[in-house]
Amino acid sequence: MPIKALAPQVVARIAAGEVVERPASVVKELVENSLDAGATQISVEVGGGGVSLIKVTDNGAGIPSEEVELAFERYATSKIGDLDDLESISSLGFRGEALSSITAVAQVDMTTCADGEKVATHLGLEDGAIASRSTKGRSQGTTVTVLNLFRKIPARLKFLKSIATENSHIANVVSQYALAFPEVKFSLSLDGRVALRTPGSGKLLDSVAEVYGAEIAGNMIELKGEATIPRVTGMVGLPRVSRSGWGYLSFFINRRWVNSRMLARAVEEAYHGLLMVGRHPVAVIDILLPAQDVDVNIHPTKSEVKFANERAVFSAVYRTVRQALAGQTPVPHVEAANKPVFSSVVRESASPTYVGAGADLSFPPLTSAAALPVLRVLGQLDNSYIIAEGPDGLYLIDQHAAHERVLFERIERQRAQREIEVQGLLEPMPLEVSPRQEAELWSHYQELAEFGFAIEPFGGKTFLVRAVPAIVHDRDWAGMLRELLDSLSEGDKSNWAETVIITMACHSAVRAGQALTDSEMRELVRQLEQAATPHTCPHGRPTMIHLSYGQLKKDFGRT
Amino acid sequence: MKLSCLQENLDRGLNVVGRAVAVRTTLPITNNVLLATDKSRLKLSATNLEMAISCWIGAKVEEEGAITVPARLLSEFISSLPSEKVDINLSPQTKTLGLKCARFEARISGVDAKDFPPIPRVEGGIATKVEVEALRQAIGQVAFAAATEESRPVLTGVDAEFDGDTLTLAAADGFRLAVYKLPLAQAVSQKTEVIIPARTLAELNRLMADQEEAVEITVNPEKGQALFRLKDIELVSQLIQGSFPNYSQLIPKKFNTKAVISVADFLRATKTASIFARDGSGIVRLVVAPGGEMTPGKVTVSARSEEIGDDVGDIDAMVEGEEAKIAFNGKYLTDVLSVLHEAQVALETTNPSSPGVLKPVGSDNYIHVVMPMFVQW
Ligand SMILES: Nc1ncnc2c1ncn2[C@@H]1O[C@H](COP(=O)(O)OP(=O)(O)OP(=O)(O)O)[C@@H](O)[C@H]1O
Ligand SMILES: [Mg+2]
Repeated sequence: MPIKALAPQVVARIAAGEVVERPASVVKELVENSLDAGATQISVEVGGGGVSLIKVTDNGAGIPSEEVELAFERYATSKIGDLDDLESISSLGFRGEALSSITAVAQVDMTTCADGEKVATHLGLEDGAIASRSTKGRSQGTTVTVLNLFRKIPARLKFLKSIATENSHIANVVSQYALAFPEVKFSLSLDGRVALRTPGSGKLLDSVAEVYGAEIAGNMIELKGEATIPRVTGMVGLPRVSRSGWGYLSFFINRRWVNSRMLARAVEEAYHGLLMVGRHPVAVIDILLPAQDVDVNIHPTKSEVKFANERAVFSAVYRTVRQALAGQTPVPHVEAANKPVFSSVVRESASPTYVGAGADLSFPPLTSAAALPVLRVLGQLDNSYIIAEGPDGLYLIDQHAAHERVLFERIERQRAQREIEVQGLLEPMPLEVSPRQEAELWSHYQELAEFGFAIEPFGGKTFLVRAVPAIVHDRDWAGMLRELLDSLSEGDKSNWAETVIITMACHSAVRAGQALTDSEMRELVRQLEQAATPHTCPHGRPTMIHLSYGQLKKDFGRT
Repeated sequence: MKLSCLQENLDRGLNVVGRAVAVRTTLPITNNVLLATDKSRLKLSATNLEMAISCWIGAKVEEEGAITVPARLLSEFISSLPSEKVDINLSPQTKTLGLKCARFEARISGVDAKDFPPIPRVEGGIATKVEVEALRQAIGQVAFAAATEESRPVLTGVDAEFDGDTLTLAAADGFRLAVYKLPLAQAVSQKTEVIIPARTLAELNRLMADQEEAVEITVNPEKGQALFRLKDIELVSQLIQGSFPNYSQLIPKKFNTKAVISVADFLRATKTASIFARDGSGIVRLVVAPGGEMTPGKVTVSARSEEIGDDVGDIDAMVEGEEAKIAFNGKYLTDVLSVLHEAQVALETTNPSSPGVLKPVGSDNYIHVVMPMFVQW
């Protein structure tokens, strides 16, 4: 085929393909436009997974009659004027591309009425061209109706998933913006069924309750974002409402919904040690930072951003979330209306989904910072669990997990204060390691000194150990070192310090199956009461199960 | 098998051998106790395969025989009986042991004595004797320093060196070393060194508590087992194979500071400090200060804990040499101080990262070396 320029219609359709991937992209663009227009009410109606109908109605500023046609022209926008504006975008839209892209792949109708206008302008577009223009009556605001999406592009149509899948993508888009703009009343209907409705109260928790339900909302804590740059605000879920997927992480940059692995990592990091492997946190986080510090113009759907100072953003998010979790001042509890029985307590605790269920079971409710009530030890079960009585019921404490938590925090604290307790060896002990362990030891033996290991190379695969951390001195510390080197050589090195601490804590903690005296149990419980995060062990498993008096009453049928 | 004996003798005998009954075992018969007639006595035996204890009690034997029965069951039953005569009768067909005492009667089903692990005979090799008191004190001052952690098996034992008329016991766990020399009541013909499990020696010490006669010690030529014979009691212990570290080189030959202090005061101050050190690994800090012309020297014992606060105590001391600072695991100090019989102890140190040495004042047969903890001062 000879080279020739593509017809404008073809060009438009190719370009549109980048902006409009699927029905949810249309919804996203239209909702963003409504938000840019300052709407306080936005309703979204969807039919047939968005392919047959998408209708977005707002009460925003509207478009003056004489500019309506312009809105559909490619690169026509009211939001930025010159190159400098591009450097500091504060609106969600800025390219003037969305409406024209949508008209390239669907039939579009717009009815809009700007401030001061008596009648609304109605414009009908087909195949990217204006097909009709008339006036209509409506109050200030804009309604955009998108019909028969992708009908002319069978390839794209075929690529779409089921109606249910497309609906869920659309619901997600609307939900995300409902979370980002709690002061806006959102409603979403899918094939006539109301899928979401937010009150527009301006309170994030209200939006969270609508989007994620009462159980999660009852377990959210507020981020006390300091007035720094960047400023991090929003809410995160207590560890007990963790999820098995990443879907409950929402990030907004200056209230623009974005995807960012870096931000996800920052949050995940902040939860480190609080969640079990494979569990992920719930978080709604808005990051405020000067527009010039972030580039939103790197992806056709504007869903990815680039930060001028990525590290600063990462650490601001990490710090803010971590602090909130350490403080743990929960928002008022929203009662989950379910009715667990004792057997489910046992089952719950054994399965990795222990965090999910009724409010009464999993962890005791956190009431203040170091929130373990004073406990009275009643006895030991199976040489593995401490049975204790608290003001609000029965506590079963996993002695190994609890001790691990206590030791983990002690080691962490001692290391931070450079006060790791070190026990010297009467005679330096040779430590023989495997080739793989050797490589690891060569790169880490000096850093291991921070943890109390005085190790030096002694030629070949032999190293000399002169001192060990006091906490493991009467344990098999050589075996522990080898295990540590193995896990460092297999695992993720970014967190090696934590791996060291976890391994040390695990090896020095009392084992399950070890009989404890009353005073040892009391001492352990006392130390656990003082732990900053007493409810989980460093691996993220729970240290205790709580059975409230209310629960007991219920299960014995006394109510 | 048919015999009778006194309840109190049987009860005591079962208690003696009870400590050798296996607790967790893959060989169920080691939960049993072996009862066998031995001339005009009843012999009770138990073994956990590491150590075996046998005990003989007086009995009126009418019919010879042997059987094994669950040790705990038998021992609990016997201890609940009045102190009268117990008639024991084995029915060989059913292997059921019938027990009768006053108006109580019980039948316990047993397992054939042939299935009981044989208790090794220890003969040949070296044979010697030690006074009970001396051995008790030696074990008491040495065995606790053995390792409880099992990654280096030789350190879980006590090294015993028989040389001429001297027995040297030594234990070390990598962080401390205890060495005690005592006389043998009967010299050995040949220098012999073996490693005895510390656990066995602890049991031996318990058994020696009400003994007066000298203890006979026999080590077989293969150095596989040792036999300790007391009055009416025999303890056979497996020996730990391997070579014990050459500990003499670990004992410092000189010091920069020496403080002579009261054992009781030092122990009290250390115990108090340990309370404050309990949130950590029990670091107790010592500052040894020489006295002036008019003032006595002193040792300041201190510990601190983030949560509880800190504790400082001074003890008067006779100090020789320069001022010294050293930190120890408080448990290591209280362990040794609480087994010393002497009134005063000398603490010798070189520097904060070299071992400290404790020697009781007035006897030169015991030396205790402790490696310090490394701390910021
Ligand atoms: N709901 C609405 N209310 C008021 N004005 C609107 C609305 N939707 C679109 N407009 C106007 O139409 C213009 C073009 O919209 P379009 O979405 O195509 O581009 P944009 O929002 O400026 O940039 P982008 O392509 O990044 O979304 C906007 O600049 C705005 O002036
Ligand atoms: Mg737009």
